[in-house]
Amino acid sequence: MKVAVVGAGPAGVRAVEQLVRAGLEPTWLEESPDGGGRIYQRPPAGFRRGYRAIYGADAGRARRLHATLEALKPRCDWRPDTLVWNIRTRERLLDTQTAGRRRDTLAYDALILCTGAMDRILPIPGWTLPGVTTLGGAQIALKAQGVGIGARPVFIGTGPLLVLAALQYAKAGAPPALVLDTTSFLTKAMAAAGLLWNLPTFLRGLRYTAALRMKGVAVAEDATPIAIEGEGKVMALRWRDSGWREHVTPCDAVAMGWGLKPEAQLADLAGVPFRFDATGHNWLPERDAAGRTPVPGVYLAGDGAGIGGAEVAELAGARAALALLEDHALPADLALRAHLDGRLRTEARFRAALERAFPYPAHLARRMEDATLLCRCEAITAGELRAVARYGGSEANRAKALSRVGMGRCQGRVCGPPAAEVLAAALGVPVEQVGRLRGQPPVKPIPLPGAA
Amino acid sequence: MNRAVVIGGGLHGLSTALHLARTPGWQVTVLERRHVGRHSSGVNAGGVRRLGRDVREIALSAVAFEMWSNIVALVGDDCGFQPGGQVKVAENEAELRKLEGRAAQVRDLGWTHEEVVDQAEVRRLLPAIAPHVVGALVCRGDGSADPMRTVMAFRRAAQEAGAAIVEGSGVTAIERSAAGTLRVVTEEASYEAERVANCAGAWATRIARMAGEEIPCGVKASMMIVTERLPHFCTPTVGPTGRPLSFKQTAVGTVVIGGGHQGLNDPERETSTVLFGSLAHAARIAGELFPCVKGARIMRSWTGTEARTPDEIPVIGESRTMPGLFHSFGYSGHGFQLSPAAGAAVAELMARGATNLPVAPFTQARFDA
Repeated sequence: MKVAVVGAGPAGVRAVEQLVRAGLEPTWLEESPDGGGRIYQRPPAGFRRGYRAIYGADAGRARRLHATLEALKPRCDWRPDTLVWNIRTRERLLDTQTAGRRRDTLAYDALILCTGAMDRILPIPGWTLPGVTTLGGAQIALKAQGVGIGARPVFIGTGPLLVLAALQYAKAGAPPALVLDTTSFLTKAMAAAGLLWNLPTFLRGLRYTAALRMKGVAVAEDATPIAIEGEGKVMALRWRDSGWREHVTPCDAVAMGWGLKPEAQLADLAGVPFRFDATGHNWLPERDAAGRTPVPGVYLAGDGAGIGGAEVAELAGARAALALLEDHALPADLALRAHLDGRLRTEARFRAALERAFPYPAHLARRMEDATLLCRCEAITAGELRAVARYGGSEANRAKALSRVGMGRCQGRVCGPPAAEVLAAALGVPVEQVGRLRGQPPVKPIPLPGAA
Repeated sequence: MNRAVVIGGGLHGLSTALHLARTPGWQVTVLERRHVGRHSSGVNAGGVRRLGRDVREIALSAVAFEMWSNIVALVGDDCGFQPGGQVKVAENEAELRKLEGRAAQVRDLGWTHEEVVDQAEVRRLLPAIAPHVVGALVCRGDGSADPMRTVMAFRRAAQEAGAAIVEGSGVTAIERSAAGTLRVVTEEASYEAERVANCAGAWATRIARMAGEEIPCGVKASMMIVTERLPHFCTPTVGPTGRPLSFKQTAVGTVVIGGGHQGLNDPERETSTVLFGSLAHAARIAGELFPCVKGARIMRSWTGTEARTPDEIPVIGESRTMPGLFHSFGYSGHGFQLSPAAGAAVAELMARGATNLPVAPFTQARFDA
């Protein structure tokens, strides 16, 4: 049986581990030069910082995952630096591209997609200035390259990553000038009961915030970013505190992120239906608790199937592999299955509370000023999108056709969620009613065939 | 007041509705199953082309060209029309002779818009063209427009002229009423009308069948890819003579590559799917004609569903089983340019039963033989 696994982050590693245990030799495709995922991204060869320095409290997990990754590589058809840019479900074929040029087509009988997630952003004036990046981007710069996005950065957004990334910068000698959290303390406190479903993680979050304040970093909750200011580079953040007082904080870089959104384009091309998850405020591919989709032979695991974080991704990766094995009458570890199901149930409750604690600030997207650049690839403002909403653009794909929002390099991966909010607000409907952008191959830009 | 229903909110339906709504005494309703410009009208390559037309289409295409040249007067918007020219390049002497033959044929019919140019002139028109190209057939006034912008301009103009456009309203039956008028039935309502136009594109044969008429016509789903933005290097729309490709650089710098390569079509589900294999072929040809696009990255690919007749020219004319119903479909992937003129012709046929516009070659009688 030909099994393909896309992605070698926490979910992909644990999925392949179970497949190999069952005697299979899967084809393992990873877009990056090496596995580990974004969370356990490895530094380039030759870098000598230790696990503790790079991954902090996650050092143990990172070390274990990397060890498994290395043990598995020789036992499967390991293809790093390989982008899967199209899925042809009917024929069960993957179109791939390796090292930016070599094309291949790969047949599969079963497929596990572990495609991960990316930051969810909120366009504000100045967000396209050099020096503005995502929380994830800021973290990876530090983790993989040992460099910071600036000496005096500002972190804006909400969620566990906001505080964690800010603390990592403070420890690395680039203390943030400000950590701006759009969520109020009250919202977080109200979700606290649910957060007890994962007490260690919850406590870790509290500890991070306390550590930040101990280091003298200003943390503003229930605050609103107004604009990133500067000429040709980031020079300051203009923002409003919970009492509506305006401030200008000088800084040389900005990292922003409001939770994560699944990178689910491949699931979309595979024909998996999507539903809107009101709690996480994301469109999610449909799957059961084990990762089975309604499309025969296609399984999902990790953040690409719904945001759960790295711990959950490891569990879900193993669980999806067991589901695949069972569905194809191959031996699966039943004791492990029971254990994973129990853990995943608990984690799901924790995740729901976490999403409630750190909501996407849809209200800020909805009242984005007309002049704010919404789609940076095609240079479309919020006002231009609102104009087409008034003229037949009542659905995300329609609005894209009429306004060009989401037609550029990112294919709506960056601007899609805020654009949907702007559109929904202009039409006076709930955001799920405007739908989501249909996936189109290639999922990421690829060179024309026959290229030199 | 006479009433008319136009079935199909694509470009041909909207153009027909626009012209008829501007005819005194007509009240027009457009019924569109999904939304305006949903299929090929909204996603085609936007070619405004007389070059290389089937000889039976040249006259109508020439009328349409006049209308495109002053499209603002017609719909109040320039539709993104850029008359950068259309160029069919010859990659060898044999192809050049073929193009010379074509130019002579068109000239003999009394038209002068197609012109053969030598290698130096091709180089001047297309500085980035590969060195092996020896000459070309050129139509200088041609060019391309923005299809979605064109659809919306026609929609707006039709509405301003008084036409009602009902989206999300699919036709389920057409009957003759007791009063002798036609009744167009949708799931929600029914519409009485003296005249009905069938501009339902890939689904038009179903509408014809509702009127008890069988017209030979299939479907097609031409695929296109678009690259990321590149510095400006090409003004005209370009195609080779012996190989399937259409190539243009848009105003924003992206390159749109098509050429009639067919995707997978599913008219039942109203979807079509890109097949990359044959698109890759088109992309390879593009790189051979324009070496500078090698290495450019593909951003998106798409298809649109369209009707294709056996002889690849449209069906325009009155139904033979249900008088009062007029067909206008089967443009076979090159109806975009014709739409202003075809809509005028169909509106005239509907309003007064005759037209001086050159649509006689398109009656369905041609399939009788």
